[in-house]
Amino acid sequence: MTLTLTMISVSLLMTFILRDTAESIRSKIDITIYFRNDAIKDEQIQQLAEKIKQVNGVIAVDFIDKSEALAIFKRLPINDNIKSPIDEKNNPLPRSVLVDTQNPDDIQAVVNNIDSIDSNDYICSECVSYDQNKEKVDKVISATQFVQLIGIGLSVFFGVIAIFNVYNIIKITITARSDEIEIMRVVGASNMFVRGPFIVEGILYGLIGTIFTTSFLLLMAKLSFGGGSTTNSSGFSISNLLGIDIYTYLVTHIWQLVAVQFLAGSVLGVVVSLISIRKFLKS
Amino acid sequence: MNEVLKIGSSPSVKPPVDQVKKPPLIDFQNVSKQYPRKVALKDVDLKISEGEFVCLVGQSGAGKTTIIKLLTKLEKPSRGKIYVANRSLSDLRSGEVPLYRRKIGVVFQDFKLLPQKTVWENIAFALEVCAFSDKEINRRTEKVLELVNLIKRKDNYPNELSGGERQRCAIARALVHSPKILIADEPTGNLDPINAWEIIDLLYRINQRGTTVILATHNKQIVDRIQKRVILMKAGQIVSDQAGGKYVI
Ligand SMILES: Nc1ncnc2c1ncn2[C@@H]1O[C@H](COP(=O)(O)OP(=O)(O)O)[C@@H](O)[C@H]1O
Ligand SMILES: [Mg+2]
Repeated sequence: MTLTLTMISVSLLMTFILRDTAESIRSKIDITIYFRNDAIKDEQIQQLAEKIKQVNGVIAVDFIDKSEALAIFKRLPINDNIKSPIDEKNNPLPRSVLVDTQNPDDIQAVVNNIDSIDSNDYICSECVSYDQNKEKVDKVISATQFVQLIGIGLSVFFGVIAIFNVYNIIKITITARSDEIEIMRVVGASNMFVRGPFIVEGILYGLIGTIFTTSFLLLMAKLSFGGGSTTNSSGFSISNLLGIDIYTYLVTHIWQLVAVQFLAGSVLGVVVSLISIRKFLKS
Repeated sequence: MNEVLKIGSSPSVKPPVDQVKKPPLIDFQNVSKQYPRKVALKDVDLKISEGEFVCLVGQSGAGKTTIIKLLTKLEKPSRGKIYVANRSLSDLRSGEVPLYRRKIGVVFQDFKLLPQKTVWENIAFALEVCAFSDKEINRRTEKVLELVNLIKRKDNYPNELSGGERQRCAIARALVHSPKILIADEPTGNLDPINAWEIIDLLYRINQRGTTVILATHNKQIVDRIQKRVILMKAGQIVSDQAGGKYVI
């Protein structure tokens, strides 16, 4: 049980981490609308930005005016020779509106919506920059979907193994207590009463499994990733590879993990005990 | 003629008037039981009236236990119908089966006591699993322990008891629901003659109080001495049924 819950947890944790990573990449994907036509007033753009904010699927809207665009430009790691001709007085940089979308999957829909509310045609069709990102977006989306699929697949796989394990354990305890079950039936205990202790036992397995698994995972994570990347003697660390400290991640997500383990463990335990006791209650 | 029903010839059998009027408490109608590779019962017809004391005899493998298992609905008949108090057992819903079993007390050759429970706890257990109140559990357990004369041993564990005492404990447990029928499957099989007679005497007294008793046994001496109705089985069939009879092979 502990082993299988560990497997579930690890695959779950991997899915969590990769999903979160993917999520952070996805959240970086957004729409940028440039305004090349300097005749449009800042206020008009801001009004449009307010409207865009109301569009379904839009989380945040950020208006970047000329001076902000300049500040960003000045921070870019490029040669000063290129930077120097551009300053406050001579600023050809376009103003822009950054649109943060909830879900990159429906970025196209958001763009269409934005298009439809742009009644004054401030936005020129080639000024919406998401098209350049489209390929990247699609790649990340398919990558996250792939990762989630693997996660689900692994969890199902180990879940099946867990079911067999628990089934065997509970079969042993039921066989050991078959006399008691038989006596219960003979003296007229209701089926629910006979099942009761085994349901409790199933939940108990879930609980014990959760305690062991969580301690085991914490210990493993502490030993392999906990001391920070500097102490890693091998010079290679999965943490570094993923750019995440798994131990910290584990600690911050511990309650979620415990809840999932306990739920999965007890459901597994209870269902399996009910299945194994079924044949004793037949006829 | 195998079947000789000498109704009324023995004082221990109810008068014929009663038997004609009352429908039988237990009624097997053409019952067969087929195990995967063995016919355990074949076309068994059997009627038992309320208050009777019936000996079910026959060699090992004759089908005595099978009849008991069918009667307690631990097994289903392959063919035929079984009525108890005018209800077909096959019509019982699964939720009703536990309630039905409480009306039938069963005693086994190997006692089937829980070794980690005392005499008192073993009997109380039968009530606990049926959600009785603590007060009711205590009242019934005490009463039934007095009946089987085990009150002095109530705090002992089964392995501290003699075989006869263990069987009395098992009988007490079977009686704790005040069943209408008490079934004993070779209750004396593991006992020496003196203890065996103690148990038979107890079953006799229980029958005197109005409970129908079915005693499965292959002990010839016991059957011959108690002079009750004897149903002889052979290879899954009833070969003779005699009131006040003897165990004739
Ligand atoms: N669960 C079972 N599966 C297969 N055969 C069985 C089973 N129970 C009993 N039998 C067979 O049915 C026959 C009758 O058995 P049983 O009723 O226990 O006889 P008795 O109690 O008279 O000794 C025996 O031949 C036995 O081997
Ligand atoms: Mg038998």
